[in-house]
This record gives sequence, C-alpha cells and structure tokens, in this order.
Amino acid sequence: MEVTKSKSKGLSAMAKREERWAWLFILPPFVGFCIFMAYPIVFAVTASFSRWTGLNSLLGNMAGLRNYHDILTDTKFWKSMLNTIIYMIGIPIGMILSILISMGINRLKKLGRIFTTLYYIPVVSSLVAVSILWAWVFNFDYGLLNSIIKALTGLHGPNWLGDEKMVKVAMIIFMTWKGLGGTIILYLAGLQNIPKDYYEAAKIDGATGFQLFKYITLPLISPITFFVLITSLIGGWQVFVEVQVMTGNGGTNYSAATIVFYLYQKAFSQNQLGYGCAVAVILAIIIFIITAINFGTQNKWVKTMD
Amino acid sequence: MKLRKALALGLCTAMAVTSFAGCSVAKNEASSSDASTSTNLKGEGKDELHILIYAQEHEKAAYEKQIKKFTEAHKDQIKNVNFEVTTQDEYNTKMTAAITANDLPDIFYVGPASVKEYVDNGYCIPLDKYVDQTAVDNLWPEIKSAYQYDGKEIGKGSLYCLPKDLSCFAFAYNKDLFDKAGLDYPDPEKPYTYDEFLEVCKKLTKDTDGDGEIDQWGVANANAFGMTPYMYSNGVKFLSDDYKKVNLTDNKALKDSFQFYTDLTSKYKVTPSVEQDTAMGGYQRWLDGQIGFYACGTWDVAAFMDQATFPYKWDLCGWPVGPDGDGKSTTWLGTVGFAVSKTCKHPDLATELITALSTDLDGQKALSGETTGKSMQIPNIKDYATGDWKQAVKDGKIPYASNVDVIFGYIEGNDKYKGIFEETTYTPNNEWWTTFLEGIPNVQNGSESASDYLKEVEPKCQEALDNAWDLSSGNKN
Repeated sequence: MEVTKSKSKGLSAMAKREERWAWLFILPPFVGFCIFMAYPIVFAVTASFSRWTGLNSLLGNMAGLRNYHDILTDTKFWKSMLNTIIYMIGIPIGMILSILISMGINRLKKLGRIFTTLYYIPVVSSLVAVSILWAWVFNFDYGLLNSIIKALTGLHGPNWLGDEKMVKVAMIIFMTWKGLGGTIILYLAGLQNIPKDYYEAAKIDGATGFQLFKYITLPLISPITFFVLITSLIGGWQVFVEVQVMTGNGGTNYSAATIVFYLYQKAFSQNQLGYGCAVAVILAIIIFIITAINFGTQNKWVKTMD
Repeated sequence: MKLRKALALGLCTAMAVTSFAGCSVAKNEASSSDASTSTNLKGEGKDELHILIYAQEHEKAAYEKQIKKFTEAHKDQIKNVNFEVTTQDEYNTKMTAAITANDLPDIFYVGPASVKEYVDNGYCIPLDKYVDQTAVDNLWPEIKSAYQYDGKEIGKGSLYCLPKDLSCFAFAYNKDLFDKAGLDYPDPEKPYTYDEFLEVCKKLTKDTDGDGEIDQWGVANANAFGMTPYMYSNGVKFLSDDYKKVNLTDNKALKDSFQFYTDLTSKYKVTPSVEQDTAMGGYQRWLDGQIGFYACGTWDVAAFMDQATFPYKWDLCGWPVGPDGDGKSTTWLGTVGFAVSKTCKHPDLATELITALSTDLDGQKALSGETTGKSMQIPNIKDYATGDWKQAVKDGKIPYASNVDVIFGYIEGNDKYKGIFEETTYTPNNEWWTTFLEGIPNVQNGSESASDYLKEVEPKCQEALDNAWDLSSGNKN
C-alpha cells in the first residue's frame, strides 16, 4: 500500500514526461470520439425531445416527451418492431448452420480453404449489390428461385417480395445467407483452437461422436457463440439496406419494414428529424438492454479453456 | 465496481452501435459523392455564388452552359460560381445538412410544397425587389402563383422562386398495338369515359403468342403516381377544403373511382397482376411494347421518342374521365423553382442568374429540345412555348408526340382538360398519402374489397395528417 502511494505522489521526472506523452497518444482517438461520437449522441438525444424538422429551430421547438409518446402509440412502430424481431429467427438458424458447416470444413484440408473463401464472398460484397441480386433471385416471374420451383413441381412459386408473409421468409433467407460467411470463419478459428488431446482423452474413455460434440466442442466454442450472438443481435436490430433495396416502400402494408426503415422514413421522407432521433434513442436503449442481458447471463453458459 | 462495469458496458454498446451506424453513413456518403458533381466557373471580379440543384445529365449540361455565359457577361463582378449538382434522392439530405450547418447555398431548389416552410423559417428571400418584371410576365401564370406567398396563403403576395420548369403527367398510347388490334386511335379532342376506356383496354389485353398466358395488357399503372389522374378526372378530393380532414368513405366520387381503378386489376384484369407488377414494373413493360396505355410525364418525352429506348409509334391522349366530376380529364402538375437564400451576399446578382436559368431563351430552347433534339420540359416562356416551340413540334423539327395540345390543355386548362397540384402540395408532409398507398396492392389482388380498405385506412391517414399539422402548427423559427 505504502509503495503505491509514494509512487503516485512523487513521480520521477522521466515518468512524468512519459505520462505526458501517454496523454498525447491518447488524445487523438479521444478527440475523435468526442467530435464524431459523443457530440452526435448528445445532439441526437437533445433533438429527440424536439419537434425538429431540419428546417425549423431545434431548441425553439422542444416538446418534452411528445415524440416518445407518439412513437409508442404509433401502430407502424410496433409493426416494424415485430418485423425486426421476426427477422431475428435467422440468427439461431444461421448459427446452427455455421457450426455444422465449419465442422465440415474443419475436417477438409485443402478444399476447406476454397469453401471458406466461397462462403466469405457475400460478407465482403456490397450489401446494396447483393440485395439487388437477391431481389432478382426472389423475382416472381423471372426469379431463380421460382424457376427452380417451377422446374421441380410444375407450380408457380410464391410472390416472395410482394406477399405479406413470404416477404419475411425471403428476408430471413437472405440475411442468413449474408451472415453465414463471417460466422463460419469465427467458428472455424474456435474449432481449430480446441486442443486435440481433449478429444483423444474423451475417446479413450469411450465417448461417442455426439458426446464429443456436446461436452467438448460446444462448450469450448461458447465464447465464439457469445460474440456471434451479441454482434448478430446488434446487427439484427439495425437491418435497413436490404429492406430499402428489395422492397422499396417497406412491402405491402408495411410488412417488410424494420425499425431503422421506420426511422429513415420518418426522418428523411417525412422530414421529422426530431422524431427520427427519438426512434434512434429507443433503438439504442433496446440494444443496450439486450446486450446487458447477454453480458449478465454469460457466466451461466460461456465456458473458457482456462 | 458495478458502476464501472455498467459504464464499460454502456461505452461498448455505444461504440458498437455507432460503428455500425458509421458503416452505413460512410457508404451513403461515398455513393452520394459519386453522384454529385461540382463545377467552378471563374471570373475576374470579387463576388462568389454557390448553386446546389439536382439535375439529369442533359439538364446539367444546359445549365452549365447558361452559367458560363452568365459568368462571362459578368466577369468584372464575379470571382467564382460554384455549380453543384446532386441527385434528387440526395438533395433533401444535403439541404438539411446545409441548413443545420448554417451553410446554405446561395441558390437552391424549392418545390411548391416547401415554399411555406422555407419562407416561414427565413431561408429564402422575396425576389420582387430584384427581379426583372418583364421576365416574370413572360412565365406561365400557372407556375408563378405556386411560388407566391403572403405569410398565410400560397398563391398571393411576394414571389419567392423562379420556376425551373412546369410539368404535367399526361397519358400515352402505343399506336402499334392499336393498329394490330384494328382499333381507332383515342381522340385527343374527346378523352374516353371510364366505360369506353375499359372496353378499349379489354380489346388490347390478350395472349399474343398463344401459350395460354396473357402477355399484353390494356394499361399499366403505378399507384404512387398514376392513380390520382383517374381519380381527379372523376372530381375526387381526398381532403377537405382546408386540407385538415381526410375524407375517403363519405365520398362517392372517391369510392367509385377507387373501385374503378382497382377493378382494372382485380376484376377486369386489363393490367398486369400485382405479382406480375412486382416481377417487372409497368414502365419496363411499356418500353417492351406489352402495354396499350401508359403515363407520360413531360420529362419522359425525350426517352419515348428515342427509338433505341422505345421502338414503337406512340402519341399522347387524355386520362379517362369519370361520371362524377366536371367532365374534364384532369392530371397533376409538377414544378420546382430556383430560390435565393437569405444568407446570400449578392441577392441582385443571384436573382439575375436565376432569371437567366429560368427564362433565357437559348437555355429554354436547349431544355425543351429545339436546339438539342431532347425535350426535357416544355418551355417556361409562355409566348415561346405556345408560338415557335409548338410550331416546331408540329413541323417535326423537335422530336415530340404530335398530340402536343394534350399537354397544353393540362397546363393551360380548357373545356376538356385541366391540371392541378396534388393535395400533398398543401399539407405539411405527405405521410397521410403514403399511408393510403401502402395496402392498395391487397385490393388490387382481390384479397380485400375496395370499400373495406377505404374504411380501414381512413383513420390511419387522418392520424398521419393530424400529426403533420400538429407538427407544423406550434412551429417556432
């Protein structure tokens, strides 16, 4: 105790100089954070209490909780919230597929790299470009998917992007496909980190293949699962581009709209920028809570090798 | 300890959220900078002007030429004119950013729907003091009033913009399909009634290659733009006279024309089905020669006259007229205008420049096709439009549809034709309208009746309209 005290009080000249340098190194990212993150966050939170349209004065039109009240009583908000949650069905599906595919790839030697690259292509492609591509895949008359359905069954496939129910299925298929590559890479790294002797020891004790998976693989890749879950959930709440590109107006009867799409329409089509900021604040709070729950419960299921 | 953990968690989330948001913003900006261009035209004087508008390539070239000419004529006064052109999609975002940053361009576009808001918030100045009155007197009177505002009402008081254009959304038909079906061409002097129109559409809807599936339709409509002309031509008003109340159910003209419009798809099947429309839009099908009637804005004419884009003979006609209105074929008019910002240091010079952009004869000849062969708009100068320009069209010197009188009818108004501004022009935003549009495909594919839909959507539209007025009423500058 004594030692640390004296250390912090009487720093040598060199240590002091080093400390100043340290501050200098910290400064650029800190200033960057203040200008590009802290200020916009404060601005957006302030604007969320104002009926700011972009043309009128922000501070002159403060309206308290009015925007929040209007959002929470707007049926379109709840509809877009429900759609957003429905799209998240794709997250567990994507995770299960990724684990299976990465375990497969992990067994292949040279071919594995080819597959990894193939699965990763969508991740590095422009989201707008692949959305346009998939809009054609889902095209009612000329789409790849409906052509296959017609060739196999002789029946005309569904109206993927125009029907209120099918558009959700289409979006989930697209998002799962799009996210697969990134998750596979992560799981692959996780799998390759598991020491082989764990499996050998378990095999000697007579463990079956399923037991190996359940008691060794799954727990030891749980940190990856945790990371994937958090990033997918955050990304899942922020889906926008594919809805904008593939359905344009949010789908028949707003059936494809997500929260961010709702935010975009309010802020940039209806010029209700303050209202849009309030939606953004609500979204940030939702994401904060979900992430907090994730962190809070991680001790229960996330295992490490230590 | 707990607090620190919570703080760290909060910071992580904030960073994750903002970094994700950052990604999408960065992407948007990259694409916008691809789409935007900025040109500097230099003089030898001291004054600087910054112009921000959206334009197509042809328009941009015509305006650039104008600005160059203007800069040369005023080179003792002008140091630099920065001419920035963006896309229509990006324009609003750019303006909002400019306003928020207190860095307004000196000259920018304002549509008739935004005049009130821009003036009330003090972003643009009245032009009366600076403008050359003879130039204004040469404009179509119809557009001038769209940019007059006295602090209460549009159509009276000071002039705030000079029009970039005046457009209308006319109707067109594919002559080749009429010839093949052995039908008489529509008479531009006598627009069809609803019933006549339906009969012609039925005759144009057929299976041309005999594979058992319909591949040619009488008409194709885009709900967002092409539905109101049917309804206006039946005397429809969606809103009360003060634009505060949505009236969809206690409104015979609206109910009947909405029924007729949706029946074209659901009952008579003379348009591509909703599913077919999502697969390939009406515009593409029209260009492909699958459609008998299709909408034609004044800005579409150059494309439709281009054989490479549209290899069919076509002409203009009137939208069909319903029984409940005044018997006139009615469509919506469009315009956008040049405004001068309040922060502009040289309002006299800026006004002179926009006067040139709006009314200079050479510029108008280029934009309306006399010197370029590509008609992007009808001329702003009324005497030129109704005189030399119309004659040049009739003489075949400008590639144009021969029934050009249809366009003049809609713009000037006569006993058969009439043009109006859409009701969204007079409401603070258009959310009530987009709300109305959202579920129409369900009526067109027969899963909901027209009257049920109107009943269901009316309160939603009203709510959106109430919010819009509410938002604009307590508005402080």
